[in-house]
Amino acid sequence: MKEASPAEVFSRFQSVLRANNRALELIADLGEKLGGDYLFDRRYIEITVDSLVTTVGESIANLDTLRGKRHQALHDAYQRLTEELRLVLSRREDRNGPRFLDLGAILPRDLALVGGKAAHLASMRHDPSLTVPDGMVITSRAFHDLIDHNLLRPELDTFEALMADREADAAELDRSRQRLERAMTRAEPPPGFLPELAASLRLLCPDDHSFLAVRSSAQEEDMDFSFAGQFRSLINIPAAPETVFAASREVMASLFAPGAVSYRRRIFPDDGQMSIAVVCQRMIPSQASGVAFSVDTMNLRQDTMVIVAAWGQGEAVVEGRIPTDTFIVKKGPEPFILERHVAKKTHGLYPRPTSTGTGAMGGGLGQGSQPAQATAATGGLEVQDIAPERQAIPCLTDETILTLARQVCHLETTSKWPQDVEWAIDNEGALFLLQARSLILNEGSAHDRALPERLAAYSLLSSGQGRVAQQGIGAGPVRIINHPDELADFPEGAVLVSRRDSSRFVEVMAKASAIVTEVGTPVSHMATICREFKVPCLVNVQGVLGKVTDGEVITIDTEDRRIYQGRVEELLAYNASSSMNVMASLEFRLLRRILKKVSVLSLVDPMLREFTVEGCLSYHDILRFNHETAVQTLVEMGKDEQRILSGHLARRLALPIPTGILVIDIGGGLTPEAPANDLPLTAVASIPFASILKGMLHPGIWHTAPMTVGVRDLMHSMFNPAHDVVNRQYTGHNIAVIGSHYVNLCFRLGYHFNIIDVHCGPVEQNNHIYFRFLGGVTDMTKRSRRSLMISTILTAFDFTVQTRGDLVTARLTHLPVEEMERILDILGRLVGFTRQLDVKMESDERAEEYAEAFLNGDYEIASL
Amino acid sequence: MTSETMPRMMIIDDEPIVGKRLQQSFAKLGLEVAIFTRPEEGLAAMAATPFDIVVTDLKLEGELDGMGVLARAKAINPAARVIIITGYASQETANTALREGAFEFLAKPFRLEEIKNVVLRAWEELR
Repeated sequence: MKEASPAEVFSRFQSVLRANNRALELIADLGEKLGGDYLFDRRYIEITVDSLVTTVGESIANLDTLRGKRHQALHDAYQRLTEELRLVLSRREDRNGPRFLDLGAILPRDLALVGGKAAHLASMRHDPSLTVPDGMVITSRAFHDLIDHNLLRPELDTFEALMADREADAAELDRSRQRLERAMTRAEPPPGFLPELAASLRLLCPDDHSFLAVRSSAQEEDMDFSFAGQFRSLINIPAAPETVFAASREVMASLFAPGAVSYRRRIFPDDGQMSIAVVCQRMIPSQASGVAFSVDTMNLRQDTMVIVAAWGQGEAVVEGRIPTDTFIVKKGPEPFILERHVAKKTHGLYPRPTSTGTGAMGGGLGQGSQPAQATAATGGLEVQDIAPERQAIPCLTDETILTLARQVCHLETTSKWPQDVEWAIDNEGALFLLQARSLILNEGSAHDRALPERLAAYSLLSSGQGRVAQQGIGAGPVRIINHPDELADFPEGAVLVSRRDSSRFVEVMAKASAIVTEVGTPVSHMATICREFKVPCLVNVQGVLGKVTDGEVITIDTEDRRIYQGRVEELLAYNASSSMNVMASLEFRLLRRILKKVSVLSLVDPMLREFTVEGCLSYHDILRFNHETAVQTLVEMGKDEQRILSGHLARRLALPIPTGILVIDIGGGLTPEAPANDLPLTAVASIPFASILKGMLHPGIWHTAPMTVGVRDLMHSMFNPAHDVVNRQYTGHNIAVIGSHYVNLCFRLGYHFNIIDVHCGPVEQNNHIYFRFLGGVTDMTKRSRRSLMISTILTAFDFTVQTRGDLVTARLTHLPVEEMERILDILGRLVGFTRQLDVKMESDERAEEYAEAFLNGDYEIASL
Repeated sequence: MTSETMPRMMIIDDEPIVGKRLQQSFAKLGLEVAIFTRPEEGLAAMAATPFDIVVTDLKLEGELDGMGVLARAKAINPAARVIIITGYASQETANTALREGAFEFLAKPFRLEEIKNVVLRAWEELR
């Protein structure tokens, strides 16, 4: 087979880059729409995803051409991901995955499978300040398996078509609904179902005497639509496969109950599709339990919250069956109890004793005895009298009330929305949160015509400035962050104000009520994270640092791009009572799930073990893999000395410093007037390469006297050849492959090894810096210290850094050109600065000293 | 400003999210917005009481498309400002719409600010 000429290789390499860049642009475009600042529709999503699918395919095809072979594993990964994407678009991803999942094993990508309630519980479990009972989920995949196994698919299709049709005949819909409801309650389990369920239950409840609360977790449930009371819950169910299956059948059948169906017709009039999962939680035998709202719905303008409590199980409170205590708590950094209304609590709901009469938890025989009837709404519970001496005392101590209040408010802050929480106190006095969902409020303020007038009464700190990274309204005390290390004591509910954005803000995203920065773009890393956490965020608000003071309370309205002085309750009430949380609309949810499949990057660096085709979990991973594989081709070509040095393919760089770099121009990297060899700096047209060189040439950086390398250090280098991975990449020459907006610089300076890969052009979404640093002449300890120094410096410039021993990998993406040039200059200085420095790394303190010195611009220290 | 001088605004789009999103957004300006997913419903409302600002998509579910809505709306109320929003934008359709008397033509997706500015401009003109 004829070998491609270098010119052809370069051209094909450029094709891969171009396809990659186009795909990355599309991904960034999708991400930007998620911010809420745009009006888009389903058609936009479909068109863009189609383009993306095609473009990623092109990138792979171009790679095949470049390397002269078909990368079958890559094509397979691409097919797999494209199929998953289509499932998301056609909303069939709830059929793809396991039937049973432990709550602790649920990941954000399982949302469609486990339903809103379970997903929320799973994320609450990860929050160390909250205690949530153990549980497992019978997923929507199980639901679909039951439908299919019991031949109910045609009926379900008919039903869903009717549900999506506003003009559908009500009687026909009701008949279909009834058929499904009846059939589900009698559904047979498919083969293997019960044994699998038994295995999951054994993991959840290793002992034989456990009881479960079996509840619905529908797809849409608890995202923003509570379906409160519409689905079945069965409480106090013995944790045996037969009883749990029977209970879960009842829950699933309630998807087709009259109340649930009419609720859906009202809230989702055009959306026929919905599936249901079942969450089984370990029962908390409750001394007291109830409900808490993180806002007082009667008094939205006051900063208060409500707790309603009763003795026994909380279902009684939720169903309004018995007298209850009510406590009003004032919110804030020091919450306190404003009001106590203690009722005469004559009754409470308790677990029904088993037929052996032992009652409550743990005494039952499980499935041998008559199981608690799973047909009544409260399952195995019954109303019992409360002893007279307990009737008039509050069922919660003040301390418990305040603990509960703090946890509920914390949930509100992390969820960015008022919360409706069910809780229980066990017999030892420990607090558990059983369920939490977004609180739906009345539409009051949404149609308050006097709202504009009311807003006019507030002082504006800023108006019309900035760009929206994430839509929303947030309020809280200002906390100015000058350096990421200051994030450690960020107060809960504060507004983060900073000069520039940083992906390290992720550390406080759950706590922040809003973020404002002076510079930045809606396509940065941080903006993406804000969208995931739904933190209202305004970037590029010039001069904001001069307008706010630390500790003062402000309100951010991103939609109008306004910052108000003080807490604008009217806006917060408007926000809370909007008739539809846009973020939870079908289009947004769809977009969010699509982005998980396309934009999340797992493959960070080729030198790390997980950089394989099998490790590609998203389109972004594939693009990254393609990029690195394409670069490899050029490197391999570089190894071929004949090809490289003949025909002036590689030209030497002639600089005041001895870098020994050979330059390969793939197009636009050098000026037309560039000589055939011995290139001066002025011949370099490649923006990123020129910036790096500028840094390397910075006065004081390149100390020319060689370091005194001790004998011991030299011995180490002789017996520790560089990694094989390095050898694969390193050719023996220092090579810079350059284009007008691109450079891949692969070189060995002193005794260490660098790869810097940069795309730096006018389209921010395509810009990246990948930086790799490895090897050194001395022992591992000194090399690790050098890594520490480099990683400290890079982190200060907001790189995402990973270190493993003496390997440092870092990346920085989505910056505008000017920022990039500045940072590349710094990288150039860093490269020069660290030459042979590891021999001087006698201690960790030395490493820090050098980092400090570099960051202060004190480059001379390296030559001391 | 009294409520009599508030313009009456309507949105016709077959995707419910569009109407709801815009309704929510304009509520902050104090504007009351009527939303419809079918053109016949919107036109019936227009016939009952005059609407000053009509925002409509081009492709609709029903017997009329956006251009039809434009024609009928202007027939009912010649002073009405009709804004076309669409995901099927092309230079040609834009030109046609504007020629037929549309006040403005916006291609989806667009930033909320963009449509707010257009509506505010229309409101200005109406005064």
